[in-house]
Amino acid sequence: MKKFNTLLVLVLGACLAMSVQAREKRDYHEMVYDSGCKTCHDQGLKAFPSDDSCLQCHDIAELAEQTKREGHDALQNPHDSMHYGQEAPCMECHGEHTPKKAICMDCHNFKYPKFKYEHQ
Amino acid sequence: MQTRRSFIKLGAGAAAIGALAPLTVIANSSDIKWDEEHEIVIVGSGFAGLAAAVEAGKLGAKDIVVFEKLGVYGGNSTLNAGQACFANTDLQKQLGIEDSAELMVQDQLKSGRGYASEELLKHSAELGPYIYQFTKDCGCVYRDHIINTGGTSATRSHQVVERSGAGFIRPMLKTARSYGVKTKIRHKFEQLITAKDGRVLGIQIRKGYHFEHEDSGKLINVKAEKGVLIATGGFGANVSFRQALDPNLGADVGCTNARGATGDGLIAMLAEGAMPVHLSFIQSGPWASPDEGGFGYGAGFSLYNFPHSVAIDRSTGQRFMNETADRKTRADLEVQRRDKDGKPNPALLIAPKHEATKDPSMANVLRYDVAWEFDSVEAIAKHFDVPLNPLKQQIDDWNKYVKDGEDPQFGKRMNMSSGIYLTAPFIVQRLWPKVHYCQGGIQINAKAEVIAAKTGEKIPGLYAAGEVSGGVHGVSRLGGCSTPECMAFGVTAARSLMKA
Repeated sequence: MKKFNTLLVLVLGACLAMSVQAREKRDYHEMVYDSGCKTCHDQGLKAFPSDDSCLQCHDIAELAEQTKREGHDALQNPHDSMHYGQEAPCMECHGEHTPKKAICMDCHNFKYPKFKYEHQ
Repeated sequence: MQTRRSFIKLGAGAAAIGALAPLTVIANSSDIKWDEEHEIVIVGSGFAGLAAAVEAGKLGAKDIVVFEKLGVYGGNSTLNAGQACFANTDLQKQLGIEDSAELMVQDQLKSGRGYASEELLKHSAELGPYIYQFTKDCGCVYRDHIINTGGTSATRSHQVVERSGAGFIRPMLKTARSYGVKTKIRHKFEQLITAKDGRVLGIQIRKGYHFEHEDSGKLINVKAEKGVLIATGGFGANVSFRQALDPNLGADVGCTNARGATGDGLIAMLAEGAMPVHLSFIQSGPWASPDEGGFGYGAGFSLYNFPHSVAIDRSTGQRFMNETADRKTRADLEVQRRDKDGKPNPALLIAPKHEATKDPSMANVLRYDVAWEFDSVEAIAKHFDVPLNPLKQQIDDWNKYVKDGEDPQFGKRMNMSSGIYLTAPFIVQRLWPKVHYCQGGIQINAKAEVIAAKTGEKIPGLYAAGEVSGGVHGVSRLGGCSTPECMAFGVTAARSLMKA
């Protein structure tokens, strides 16, 4: 029986590892994976990370500056937009394990050439 | 050992138990374990919810919470042209426009085709000048030009400088917070919590919800001391629900709404026995473009240009409607533009560049391939495969109507396009309606109290405002008339709550 339990643990462990491996990852986050899932999954591994999680490393004001647009396009800055200002949480547009597209694209044909891991 | 089959059976059993669970929680107040308690609980952060939050703050409420299902504030209210019809404002007087609440109600009753509520429209129209000042006090900035919208007998659509609902939502959100209103995203309303006598005590809400992940987050019970305001908007984005009500509105029909417009609040109130009104009256926007998603930029371009432009059927080269008729009239006619196989053949809105260029919408539609510029009628005919001679004749005839100030073809009000001739170069946008607004919802009275189907009396502790309420506009709502109504009933709900 004990032997069986050990086997079960091993099998389950392997399944768990596989399920993580099967997930998509962003190469540039490799370092975060090295520190363990809980680095981002601050609300338990089965739950979405909190909206503050990404902000451990990223700063919205800095991102807004980096993606700043001029003149007519100023309000299309995805990190400081006309509709949502700097309040749109990261996960509205970015997915770590799933491809996503910017929420703006629900209605607009905007071009965000540097946006990675979009659908299509 | 558990087989895969037995596991599936177990799963199905659990799902069946879930399906049998009642939609509402009925309890003695002492039985419920409350996770949070607030003086006023508002569900939804659009025009109605935020107007209620600000008004309640002004009236001295100390503990107001606004729950938003999505990750961003403003819901569908932040995605539109930022227009609000008010009658009898200072700006109208400055511009020499004569108007009155009575006239505005008359226009709306006509478009409602006998189904609108005169009492509720009157209540909303009379609050118009108050709401106009209220939004200005929040920091909303209006253009000094008032625009025309379809079906109106006076120019009364006041527009914020952003030309987007965001120009209302962001200042209102900021103002609400300045009154100490707590605003929370990712909180999805699940059901009402009701006492045995029918009084609404609070709500069950899913905290930490991620859209389309129905099990995300955790359920908490929130007690409302004065009452609950449901301001969750319409159900335009819920395809199965809307198609059950109007079989013509399947998944192949576009929708201008925010992704969260799924009718959760409406469905929960129906489960609580609220009176459903006019649920099948679902409006499509006649200014939408099939060349972008959602509301987009095309709507702004059409809205500005409809008065001095023509809408052309591509197979005949002729106009087929009054371009400034009410929304239903136009959307119904637009959707009939089909090729010989019955496939959609969207009509063309042809605008003169010399006028279109006066509004920033032109740059947007050209830049994002929602409209295109042509230097002659021939070029339009060739590009869109329209018979040339009828099109030429139509444009000549139209220019005659502009000169005469009369449209014998469709009776369009021509004083909006005086002296604006349709000459090259042209800007052309395709038109195809998109689901935009639900006239139907649950019934409210002029105090924003929700009415019970069983008794015709109010459900104590429950208020609703905005698109989730129904019966205000009847068959078809006029453009720019939801925004002021959402805010008027939000304000009204706050006043009622503060008296409760």
